[in-house]
Amino acid sequence: MGEVSRLLTDHGPAFGQALLLTWKLTVLSFVPGFLLGMGVTVLRLLPLPPLRFVLTVYVEIFRNIPSVALLIFIVFALPDLNVLIDYEPAVVLTLALVCSAFTADYLRTGINTIPGGQAEAALSLGMRPLRIITAVVLPQALRTVVQPMTSLLIALMLSTSLASQVPFPGRELTALVSKIATDSAAGIPAFAVAAAMYVATGLLIAWAGATLEKKVRILR
Amino acid sequence: MSRSVDDILFGAPSPQAQRLIRVVSVVAAVVLLLLAAGIVMRFHSAGQLEARHWEFFTWPSTWTFLAKGLLGTLASAAMAAVIALTLGLVLLVGRLSPLRLVRWPSIAVIEFLRGTPTLLLIYVCFLVLPSVGIKLSTYWMLTLPVGLSTAAVVAEVYRAGVLAVPRGQTLAARSLGLTEAQVFFSVVFPQALRYIVPALVAQLVIVVKDTTFGYVVTYGELMQNAKVLIANYNSLVPVYLVVAALYCLVNYAISGASKRLGRPMH
Repeated sequence: MGEVSRLLTDHGPAFGQALLLTWKLTVLSFVPGFLLGMGVTVLRLLPLPPLRFVLTVYVEIFRNIPSVALLIFIVFALPDLNVLIDYEPAVVLTLALVCSAFTADYLRTGINTIPGGQAEAALSLGMRPLRIITAVVLPQALRTVVQPMTSLLIALMLSTSLASQVPFPGRELTALVSKIATDSAAGIPAFAVAAAMYVATGLLIAWAGATLEKKVRILR
Repeated sequence: MSRSVDDILFGAPSPQAQRLIRVVSVVAAVVLLLLAAGIVMRFHSAGQLEARHWEFFTWPSTWTFLAKGLLGTLASAAMAAVIALTLGLVLLVGRLSPLRLVRWPSIAVIEFLRGTPTLLLIYVCFLVLPSVGIKLSTYWMLTLPVGLSTAAVVAEVYRAGVLAVPRGQTLAARSLGLTEAQVFFSVVFPQALRYIVPALVAQLVIVVKDTTFGYVVTYGELMQNAKVLIANYNSLVPVYLVVAALYCLVNYAISGASKRLGRPMH
């Protein structure tokens, strides 16, 4: 315990900033990733075979590629193609792309839970297909995927640790721990504090997700 | 068999609508092809299409080296999976125990391992453990953290399966006079496994992805060997593209297998 308090007097503010940066990266990548995933899901519903094919390939690529490999590609290989992206946007882009693929996948599963009869009913009421998607299909699909999206958000939060793989200005939690462990012997307490912060954040997200799920759950 | 929502939405379009769909499809295809052509042009103007960047892919030695990396990835992933499946079972049994003294620590361990990034655990094995006198090989520096964090997730997956087994099964088994251990290991758990096989296989994909961290500890897996190839031939883009494609293929095959396994269960 003494070691932890000494660590916190030495590096307390650094840990605070690291936690904030971890949260910031999480939000910055989740919001666009989620919106992009929703866009992909809607576009995949359109009866345009070439578009469907390309978007399916998109989803399968970013669902199956390891995030580190994607990040390394964006940071180190894209400059060879004269595409230069700064480190922080590169991390956010990596996580957002991966997030969008998983969002699209989960939303697709959510749509599959909606009985086809609802679309028939809406059509017979004279609604246009696009209107049905935005007014009938998407709202229900979103409500069914709260649970997997919560898990995805937690996984994304943990994945921000891969920002430690690029020379990032400012340090998120994992980069901070590796720095402290390299510089001093305070590795174990530093790790314990960072782990506690990650776990607490994860539990917070899980709690928020469960609360939301209880509110919006569809009882069939 | 009822039709799915998107079949119905655009199911039997009128002739005009069909014509419209055909036209828009062609337009979409053209736009996408232009996009692809733009990317190829970008490769060309950056000189990435020159033969020297690609010719070493025609040499068998390149592929043996990449195959070795893939073998390293699979060796680490397989051991991590074994650790996860067995330790996950231990954690599950601990979590379901009626004794608080066993249950609470199990929950704490699960939440801790599940809530900590694998990369952070790798840094502990890589940077922290040596300073307290524990030296692991690069294989274990990668495999142990991946196995441990997956074990916690697997424990939760197991639990979902166990909770899905109808309660009557437990009661019936107890009424036959089986011991609690027999009830769990011969009646409940085997049935739970059947429910969760797809989820377990999906977890394998994550294990394979996590082994990419091997390049942090310079364990010879696919990503690390890619780095060596890049250093040798000075061509980043082609090597990373090929390696990314390899990862996608392996993981796509695994998730494809999981879908096939999942089908007859429901």
